[in-house]
Parts: sequence; structure tokens; C-alpha cells
Amino acid sequence: MIGRRRRSNTKEVVQPRSPGGPPPMAPALLRVGIGLFVVYAAIGVGLGWWGVVEAGRLTTDPGNPLVLAAREAPRGEILDARGVVLAESVREGRGGWRRNYPHPEAEPLIGYLSPRFGASGLERSYGAELLGIGDGVGTESLLRKLQRDPYDEQDLLLSLDLRLQRRAMRMLRGERGAIVAIEPATGRILALASTPTYDPNRIVDPATGAAYFEELLDRPPKDSALLDRATRGVYTPGSVLKMVTAVAGLGSDAITPATVYPAQPAEEVTGMPVDGFRVRDGHHPQTGDRALALDPATAVSCNIYFAHTGLNVGGDAFLAWGARLGFGAPIPFDVPTAASSLDGGDGFVDDVELANAAYGQGEAQATPLQMALVAAAIAERGTLMTPHVVDGLRAADGSIDEVEPSAWRQVLDRGRADSIADAMRGAVESRLGRPYAGAAKIPGVVTAGKSGTAELGGEGEPDSWFIGFAPAGDPKIAVAVIVEGGGTGSQAAVPIGGDIMGAWLRLQP
Amino acid sequence: MAMAAGRASRVRPRWRGREARLLVVVVVVLAVGWLGLASTVAGELTIGQPAPLVVLAVMLGVVHVALVVDGRRRDQVLLPVVGLLMGLSLLLMSRLPQDLVVQSLAGVELSLAGIQLLWIGLSLAVAATVAVGLRNDLWLRSYKYTWAVAGIALLLLVFVLGQETNGARLTLRIGPFAGQPSELLKIILVVFLAAYLADNRALLAGRDSRLGPLRLPPLPYLLPMLVIWGLALATVVVQRDLGAALLFYGVFLLLLYVATQRRDLLAFGVVLFVVGGLVLYTLFPHVQDRVAIWLDPFATAQGAGFQIVRGLFALGRGGVLGTGLGGGLPTVGSGPSIPAVHTDFVFDALGEELGLAGGLAILALYALFAERGLRIAAGARDEFRTLLAAGLTLVIVVQAAIIVAGNAKLIPLTGITLPWIAYGGSSMLAGGIILGLLLAVAVEDRPGAAIERVGWRERLGDASRAAAGRVERVVR
Amino acid sequence: MDPLDLTLWLLRLAFLAGIYGFLVLVIRALRRDLRQASDAADRPLGRLVVVGSPSGDPAPGAAYLLAAANTIGRDVNNTIVLDDSFTSGRHAALTYRGRSWYVEDLGSTNGTRLGGQAISAPTPLAWGDVVEVGQVRFRLERPGGR
Repeated sequence: MIGRRRRSNTKEVVQPRSPGGPPPMAPALLRVGIGLFVVYAAIGVGLGWWGVVEAGRLTTDPGNPLVLAAREAPRGEILDARGVVLAESVREGRGGWRRNYPHPEAEPLIGYLSPRFGASGLERSYGAELLGIGDGVGTESLLRKLQRDPYDEQDLLLSLDLRLQRRAMRMLRGERGAIVAIEPATGRILALASTPTYDPNRIVDPATGAAYFEELLDRPPKDSALLDRATRGVYTPGSVLKMVTAVAGLGSDAITPATVYPAQPAEEVTGMPVDGFRVRDGHHPQTGDRALALDPATAVSCNIYFAHTGLNVGGDAFLAWGARLGFGAPIPFDVPTAASSLDGGDGFVDDVELANAAYGQGEAQATPLQMALVAAAIAERGTLMTPHVVDGLRAADGSIDEVEPSAWRQVLDRGRADSIADAMRGAVESRLGRPYAGAAKIPGVVTAGKSGTAELGGEGEPDSWFIGFAPAGDPKIAVAVIVEGGGTGSQAAVPIGGDIMGAWLRLQP
Repeated sequence: MAMAAGRASRVRPRWRGREARLLVVVVVVLAVGWLGLASTVAGELTIGQPAPLVVLAVMLGVVHVALVVDGRRRDQVLLPVVGLLMGLSLLLMSRLPQDLVVQSLAGVELSLAGIQLLWIGLSLAVAATVAVGLRNDLWLRSYKYTWAVAGIALLLLVFVLGQETNGARLTLRIGPFAGQPSELLKIILVVFLAAYLADNRALLAGRDSRLGPLRLPPLPYLLPMLVIWGLALATVVVQRDLGAALLFYGVFLLLLYVATQRRDLLAFGVVLFVVGGLVLYTLFPHVQDRVAIWLDPFATAQGAGFQIVRGLFALGRGGVLGTGLGGGLPTVGSGPSIPAVHTDFVFDALGEELGLAGGLAILALYALFAERGLRIAAGARDEFRTLLAAGLTLVIVVQAAIIVAGNAKLIPLTGITLPWIAYGGSSMLAGGIILGLLLAVAVEDRPGAAIERVGWRERLGDASRAAAGRVERVVR
Repeated sequence: MDPLDLTLWLLRLAFLAGIYGFLVLVIRALRRDLRQASDAADRPLGRLVVVGSPSGDPAPGAAYLLAAANTIGRDVNNTIVLDDSFTSGRHAALTYRGRSWYVEDLGSTNGTRLGGQAISAPTPLAWGDVVEVGQVRFRLERPGGR
């Protein structure tokens, strides 16, 4: 190359332009060419983004025409933990398929799939998997592309146990409310009930669908049957939130289990002054002049104790500890969830709001699923497992793609978590706690729990809450129960919680 | 004289071996694609009805022969590249639902693929005619102001008489003929700009007047720049044609830069663009809508963002290798899954069926076209031809970039066509004219040794000459 | 696996591979052009044949091989040195730009003429054109001769 390249070895050859003339255009053309190349490369990267990185999300998007077009195609079954079919495709007429739901008790978690009204619940969020649409990347889908049929339907294997689910639905019959039952060690959802509910078979049925669906849509929001209260209902949590305050207090070392507030007994009578506002309590006269530590304060659900603790922790730390438990953002789950929050999402405007939030009032809001996770994290000695209801996907050839239980967050160390667990055990088992949460006691089993009564302001009965787990030493189940307008916790939610936990323990082999 | 004799001696046919080989490759590749498409659709191995493909192959062959007979030495790559793009267009149009467009022409009912094939044929005919017939470009150059006036008149005609399609006033209908004048306008614009800049670039490169800290060319010479800026704005406002405005303005700026090599003018133009964009954004709801859709099409996935979201679904489903021709693009309800799939969203359609691999290959085809076009520009005989070739190349490449980036949600979507692929007569004809003009400019004046292979003997000769000295005197 | 599915899959890959094959062919062609352009820069791009020289030096019929840029003048630093009293020190430049030759007067005393007309700006040349530098007349010819 170099040998051939002959350079004129005289002085610089005269530039081929007259002085003052316009510059030659070739360099500018080169620069424009390079610029265009860069732009094209950037576009190529952008295409790669959609074609590779986002491909899976796009292809399985419920709005994708592939998913939509396949509403009438056969899809996989949805089965409970023991293999009971909860949703299946049945042939209808010639060539058509319709979804059938043998056990509507599992609504609204399962959801419905209607050619007319779309899909909801797991039918929607797992639409692509049930249909078996690949995401276009990876070897597995590459192989699938060898076939012309883009559909390779998969069955959804749930951790839900229909027996427990049925019992939960029965407990809520006639009420508006929700129950979440979870296995603390794995994060598997055992029951997820929400009432009032609907019959998906009537939505899917072309004959009754239109009228029925319209009737469902026309209901006032508080009576909505389409809303899954367990995952997307946000409620004022009341006293059950005190366990979040306890997690924040112990976790941030703002308190120890022995911490007492000397002013607390007096403030039961006078109210606790915060920024010129008084936090009132006075519903546990039996403790008299005694300044309460964590255990008795939990047992009698002392608002002033937890208000002090919240203030000691401080607003930012309280939010941070709440976030470790899942507050502040939608919980990643198999169906869409609503975000719970301690501060209404806009920060604590003052200490009054912080003090109120610390015992579950103020602007604190929580979903039943969120509160079940709080109970599960305490039960599992500080480890919060990722909640899931889909245990696995079963392909047509019988192979199962299992969802491994995974720790979502390590919220607390064991010692601190056990302190709170002890306090919750006392709330059910101790003499002090019995009037409040004692109705959750499972005969012969050491039970832990916390009742809650969410004052909503204005008329009407407060919402009734319970969170708990059992057996206290080796928890097999954690629950959260809400009964809207159920009165004080001990009236409605607490016995339901105890019943569900007891039922599950009896169902265990 | 000697010159005339030189010209006359070049009329004998000259083989274009490279072009012939590349065209054969193009036809073979398209045949494979056709086989795959027909087989996928039919569910059995079949070539289907390959008549359109045969017609395309024959037409490409005819253009090739015309260039061979013409005998002047010129670029041999442009035609195969464009031919492949047209072939992809034909494959896609044959594969889409044929009832997207149905027209009756002289009693013959034609649908999507048939009409597109007709336009491809006309386009290639125009290209060949221009390439072979345009020997003297004086008339292009001298009547630049006539062109400018014609262009403005065309624009005004659209402003007044244009019909709306998809919210943009693009289509001009005169009697039985309908077309989109902005396609023709972009060529007129380039011709005018090339002539104007070639004549005035020395002055534009000078720095005579001051505007604040900016040293500008003499103001009278800036006027056309401002006029074009205004025209672009007017196009957006009156025609609601964001794509054409962006294209005109982008090509204009780049061409100005090529002519003057002045980065400050480029920067000034970009500033004007930003200012204009902001003004339009604040004043016109439809511009705001476009930007909002661009930022989050998924927010309005069932409304305004529907098209782009569906397009992205297609790209996502395509993945890396695509679903194969005929394997993608589900038909939802009565129509294809992406509205306007044959005009504005051809790239996403090809992206689904050919995958990322195919999409990148299409981009590469345009990039190669750019390389070729700019090289023709750099080697052109005079400044007018340099600017003309550069401008025409830029029109194609920038237009492709705008619509592909819009399809991929990298910039707000604007409704312009993907050159030589999208359905549309005006667009296809404009593509033909551009191809023809480029091939005309690409004619090499020096039938010397530059293109012939350098054999080892000649290299040896070179080396000995190099040893002998820089200048050699050969006495006959 | 269904043989038809396999066939279709192979066809699909073949189609994509074909497009890329085409791209490779085109890129190779472009690279060859680039190489030849740089080769061509080293090869003579034309010949300047002396057709008239009153002083007899250079002799009529002599030919200079031209590189891309050539200057003509009396100065020894020119690529083509003319010992002619009508020629200025740096008289004219002959440059090959893009695809054609240009002649340009470098401010000489006696001027440079093309086809009898004095030139003032760079002027394109065609093969066979006659350029007069001072008293010497040259004809531009193709590098390989006739």
C-alpha cells in the first residue's frame, strides 16, 4: 500500500482554488455523511430497544392485538394448589371457545375473559402466558417460532387453596370486605377474598353478559364488585398499622421493647399535646397509672404510646421503614395492586399528621395485601417474602416452570422481629389483650394478632381490621382481614381472622 | 470540436457487470422471500402467483438495459439498492389485506399490490427516462426562480384546494388525478436550493452583516433562508403536515451547510427551528397532541396513541428474527392491527415480519444509498450538480430517518412515507425522479482508468514509474 | 417437527441472509471503488501533450504525465517547468477535481487561454481541449493515449 502511494515531494501543491473563493464542499459532505451515519446508528439502537429489551413486555401487553385476537382462542386452565380447575376453556358451537369458571368463589382474583368486555384479574395479567405467546427473544421462543401456530397455551398453577378461599368468602358473605391469607415462609397466597363479588360465567355468557356487566358497572363505587378489594382497596388501617410503627421504632432503635413514656398515663386523661393539637385515647382505663412498654401497649392498643414512638422515629425514618415493608409504591404482584402509604403520598405536613399516622389514622392508607405482608414479615422473623399466587406455569407437554419463593426484603433482624411477634402474641393471648383481639384465639394453638378499628370520621360504623399469624412459634399462615363498617375490630374482623387461621391449620396434614 | 467528438464517441453500449450481478442477487433474494410468503399463507410449499415479482424483475432489467445502451459510465449500485427496497415494498403490499386500497382503472379493478406495482413501474420508467434523457441540466439550473415560484404556487394550491387525509391537508385532487404535491415540492426545493446556493455560495460564506454577536452573510442573501423557514412553518400550520415541514427544513439546513461550511449558520438554523417549534407548540393544539402522544402513547393506547402503540407491539413481536413474511400482523376485527399500516407504518410492519435483523438491514440500505449519493455529489462535475446530488440524497435519507424514528417512538410521529417502500403514487414517482436525477448526475466524464481493475502489470508499471521520478517526460 | 414448519423457517432465514448478502456485496463494491479511487490518485490522470512551442523547448509532441494537482511555470518548483520567456514563475494550475480537469490562471503576466479565450476563474476542461500557457500550447489527453 505504502509503496504504491506516491506523494509529490515538491512543496505543497497550490490549492485548487482562487483566493477568497468559496471553500470546497467535499469535507462538508463527509461531515454530513458521518452525521447521518450517527443518526442511523441511533435509530438502529432504538429499534433494538423495542425489538429486544422491551419485546417481552410489549408482546404480553394485555392490549396487544395478539392477546386481544385470541380472546376466543382456547387458553390454558387455571388450577388451585390441589389441582381443582378454577378456569377452563370449553367448546361452544363450532370452532368457538368460551371460558368457564366452575368456582366463582375465586373471583375477583381469577377475573374473567369475555370477547366483548375484555379481561381482568389473572386472566388479564397472565393472558399472554395462558395463550402461550412468546416474547420473540430467547431460545425457547426461537424454537416456538419454528412452528406456525403462535399459541402454545400454558396452565396457571396457583398457590390458592380453594377450600380456604371458600371459607374466606363465606365469612365475608353479606359484608363488604377482604381477606388475604399468606404463607409467611414462602410468600404464597393461600386465599384472597373480596366481597361483594360477581359471577364471571354471567359476564362471559353472551345471553346475559351485556345486562349483567352494565349492572355491575352502574353500582356506586363503594359497592363495586369488579374492584378487587384485597389488592386494590385502600383503607384507613387504624390500629393494625401500629405494628408498622413498632417495626420502625425497633428497627431505627428509637425504642426498645422496654421503652415507656412517663407522660403517657397522664396523657390518657388530658390528651397528648402535639403542636397545639391533642392526641386522644383513654379507651383502656384498666391500665391506670402504669406507663406502658411495647407488650402491654400493643395489647391494649395504646394510641399515645405509638404516637410518641412515631414522633421519636421521625417522619423521614418512619416513611423509610414503611417503604421496606412495601408502603409508598404498588406491591409487585401477579395482579395489579394499589399503593399503600403512611402519609397520603405527599409527606407529613406536620407532627400532628405523623403522630396520627403512627397509630393508623391521619392520612395513612393500606391495602389488605399490604397489611398481610406486615404480619407475614413479622411472623417470618423479619424476612418479607415476595408475595405470589402463581406457583408455576405448566406447558402442554407437562413440564412445569415453577416460581421459586424468594425473599423480597430483609426488613428487621430476628431479635427485633421476635419482640414484635411476642407483643402480638400477647395481644391475643394475654389478660390485657383478650378484650380486644382475644376472639382470634385458635383453641390449642398459640395465636398472635392485632386488631384495628379505623375511624373514618363522620357517620357510620368504623372499619374493622385484624392482622395475625399462627402458630406463634412456627407460623404457617398470616392473615389480614377487613370488614367495612364492621364496628370495632373485635366485633367483626378478629373472629374471622382466627377462624381462617384455625381452618388452615386443620387442613394441614 | 474535440469536445463534441469526445461526447459522440461515448454513445456505444457499455456493459454494467456489477449492476447486473447485484440485480440478479436482488431478484433471487426477493424470490426466496416470495416463496416464504406464499408458502406461509397457503400452508404448503408453493411459489403462489409470482407474476408481480416477475414484472418487477423485468422492469428492473429494462432499466438496466436502458443504462447499458446509453453507454455512459455511471454508478452501478443505486439501481439494485432501490430495486431491493421496491421489492420489499411489493412483498409487503402483496401480503397486506388487498382491500386496503381498491381503485378502478380503465375498467380494471386494481387493489393494493396491483396499484403499487403500477406505481413502481411508472417510477422506474421515470427514473430511466431522466437518467438517460437528461443530458443538459442548464434548464434546471437557469430557471431556478421559476422553480421557486412554481413550488410556492403548488404549495398555495394545496393550501387552498387541498383535501384532508388523517387530519393533514395533503392531497390535491384535480379531476380524476389525485396526488400529494409535497412529494414533488421537495424535489423542486432541492433543485432551487442547489441552483441558488451554487450561484451564491461565495457570498453566503462571507460574513458581511452583523446581527448582535452573529456575523451573518449579507442580508439579502439570507432572505431565501427565512422564506423557507416561513414556508416550513406555514406547512405545519395550514397543512398540518409536520413531517414535510421537518424534511424541507432539515434538508435545507444541511444543504446550506454543505454549500457554505459554516457551522454558525447551521447553529442559527437550529435555533430558528427550536424557536419555531416552541411557538408552534404553544399556539397549536395539534402540535401539543403530537408531542403528548410521543411522550406516552401508552397513556392513550385506546385513543390517540393507538396507532403508535400498535406499531410498537409489532416491533416487539418481531423480536430479532421476525415472524417471517406472512406470519405477523394479525388481523383484528375488520382491519389490520395497525391503522395506516401500508402508508405510515410500513416500517413497523416489516419490523414485525423481518424482525430487528430486517429492520437494521433496511436502515443499512438507506445508509448505503446515502454513501453512494454523497459520493456522487463529491465527484460531480460542478457545484450545482454537487449540491443537487447531495440535496436529493438528503431528501431520501432524512425522510427515511424521520419516519423510521417516528415509527419507533424516538421522535414524534409525523405522517411521511418511507421512500420506495410505503404505498403511494406521488411518493413512488418522486422516488423515481430522484433516482433518475442521481443517475444523471452520476455520469462520469472521464472514461479513464478509475473504474477498471488495476492489474498487477499496471501496478508494476506504477512502481517503476515511481522509481523513475515524479514527472516523466515521454517523447513519442 | 413438521417439515413444512422447518422449511418455512429456513426460507425465512434464507431471505434475511440474502438481504445481508446483498448488503455485503454492495459494501464490497463500495470499498473497491474507494481503493481504486486512491489507486487512481497515484496513477497518471491525464497527459498534457505539447502541440505548439515556438522555442522548441519543450518539443512539440512531448507529453507530461499529470498527477491530480499540477502547476506550470518557469520556477523550478512547478511540476511542469517551462523555460519560456512568456511564462510567469507560477503561471497556471491544472487540477483534477472529482471527475474532471480544471485549469486556473495563477495571476500570470501573459495569462492562460483556453481555446483562444483568456480565463479568469477555474475553468473545466474536456479531453482534447487546448490550453495556452504563455506561448506554449498544450492539449489535454487521456492518460493511456489514444
